[in-house]
Parts: sequence; C-alpha cells; structure tokens
Amino acid sequence: MLDAFSRAVVSADSKTACIGGAELDSLKSFIADGNKRLDAVNVIAGNASCIVSDAIAGMICENQGLIQAGGNCYPNRRMAACLRDGEIVLRYITYAVLSGDASVLEDRCLNGLKETYAALGVPLQSTGRAVGIMKASSLAHINNNNTEAQAGSRYKKNEMAQGDCSAITSEAGSYFDRVISALS
Amino acid sequence: MKSVVTTVVTAADAAGRFPSTSDLESVQGSLQRAAARMEAAEKLASNIDNVAKEAYDACIKKYSYLNDAGEANSTDTFKSKCLRDVKHYLRLINYCLVVGGTGPLDEWGIAGQREVYRALNLPTAPYVEALSFARNRGCAPRDLSAQALVEYNSLLDYVINSLS
Repeated sequence: MLDAFSRAVVSADSKTACIGGAELDSLKSFIADGNKRLDAVNVIAGNASCIVSDAIAGMICENQGLIQAGGNCYPNRRMAACLRDGEIVLRYITYAVLSGDASVLEDRCLNGLKETYAALGVPLQSTGRAVGIMKASSLAHINNNNTEAQAGSRYKKNEMAQGDCSAITSEAGSYFDRVISALS
Repeated sequence: MKSVVTTVVTAADAAGRFPSTSDLESVQGSLQRAAARMEAAEKLASNIDNVAKEAYDACIKKYSYLNDAGEANSTDTFKSKCLRDVKHYLRLINYCLVVGGTGPLDEWGIAGQREVYRALNLPTAPYVEALSFARNRGCAPRDLSAQALVEYNSLLDYVINSLS
C-alpha cells in the first residue's frame, strides 16, 4: 500500500534519483491542503450510512425489478449484502482519499471485484449506478453544497471551513470513477 | 511502504471501520511536521553530490589504508563505487524525509546490508565515518532550519546505528 509520499519515493527510486523540484512542490501543496483532505474524509465517514442507503435506495427506485422475486435485492438477506458492499466500497474510497493514492482501493477492493460479482450474478450496471449516486452525494458533502431540498428531512448541515475544494473534489471523484470503470 | 498514513489505513481496514477522528488526528500531526522534512529533503536533493563527496573524502582521509593495493578503495572503479554507496544512503535518507518514516532505509538499505558487506568483504567502519562526518557537518541556520536539521540528523543516526 502506498500514499502520495511513498508513491513519489517508489517512482524516484526506479530512476535512482533524489526527490526534489517539481515532485516536492506537488507534495508541498498536498501538505498545505492537508486539512481540506481531512475534512473531506471526515465528512464522508460521518455521513457514510446516509450516503450508502441513499445510493442503494436510488438504484432500486430506478430499477424496481431488483426488489421483485428473482431480483438481486429481493429477500432482505440480499438487500443487506448490497448495503454492506456499498459501505465497503465507500470505505476503501475514503482510505484512497486519505492517502492521496488509489493503490489501497485497487489492491484491497477492486482487484477481482468484477469477476466475483460476475460469478455471484450481481448486476454490474446497477452496482455502477449505486457508486455513481454515492459519488454525487459524497462530492456534494465535500463541497458542503448539499441542500435541504435534495435531502429532505435527512438534511444535516456540516460545519466546515469554507474554501476552494475543487482539487480534492476532482481527486475524490476520480476514485469513484475508478470503481465504476473497474466494474464495467 | 510504511508511513503514518498507511499505518492508519491498515489499522482501520483491519477493524473494518471508516477513518476515525483519532486516525485523522495522527495524519494531521504528521502533516504539521512535514514542512521541515520537505525543506531538508529539498536541500539534500539539490546538494547531494557535494554532501556525498565531502563525506567520502572524510572517510578515506581517516582510513587511508583503503587506498593500498587490494583494499576497497584502491582502483578508480572501487573509488567510484564507494562514492556511489555513500550517495545511495543519502538518497534513501532523502526518501525517508519525504515519507516521514524509515521505510525506504529499512527496505532498500538496511535489510540484508550486513550479509552483503560480509560477502563482499567490505569494512563498515568507513561508512560510519562518512555518515558521521555528514552528521556533524550540517549546521543550522547556515544550511537549513533547526527543525529540518534535526530530522536530517536523526535519519543519519539511524543509518549509523544500523552499521555499527
């Protein structure tokens, strides 16, 4: 498992070069924006169960066949497995956001996931859609622009320092995209 | 590669939980100290050739018998390899400064070190001398800030201990 710093070390070692100049500058901006990263992880972790259950419910709303007999969310047992998997995927994404590198997500979550789901008969398209909804709501939480209109009675305001979160938003988005592309 | 973040993530994953507040606290603690480490890494990277050459010269001066025929510093090839080894340790120290842990030194420098030097019949005392020279050569605030020097020196101490 690597983080942003050890990733720089591994790539410098393959060239037998010291780390300086441009690579250090990007790591310095990682350090300078560290609190944004920690806020992002904190807000996703703090709203995880809401993000996951919304995503699974949304996926089912769009495809009612999933909860009819023969559907993949039909008995509670399989619906529960679905919620559990959503939480696991989201958890590995928070690890990737925290470390600033996708290796933990790739090695421990995505490696072989598609094959496992194919063998178990889990519909990959629906899974991808659920991850897409988790992406939208997580990014809204990171930017703190989720509204009462979107969330209804479950709306919860997150107290965070305001600022430009475009870099961490696109980085977090890329981890969700990685999951979606690994499943398709 | 072991670092504060990977340690925290490994522990959280083993327990199957999201990163907790205390996990985030320990990551933040390491980020706060990171500025000094980055400064030391930057200075070392920009000056590594000179630092390595000075350290190498100092150890050959102390152990001049190494220049005798058949010894480890006798030919031009040997000389360049000795200098390369010193530089190799300094490069790993640069990596450790970036990562914020001793992972690169442990994995790429120290593991198997004793066996290699024994197999090649190399003395470790000259390495210790070269690194000790570098250890005592750095000066704050002339070369780098006091905190950066502490981080740099403690890694040199770590290598010296591993060799002695």
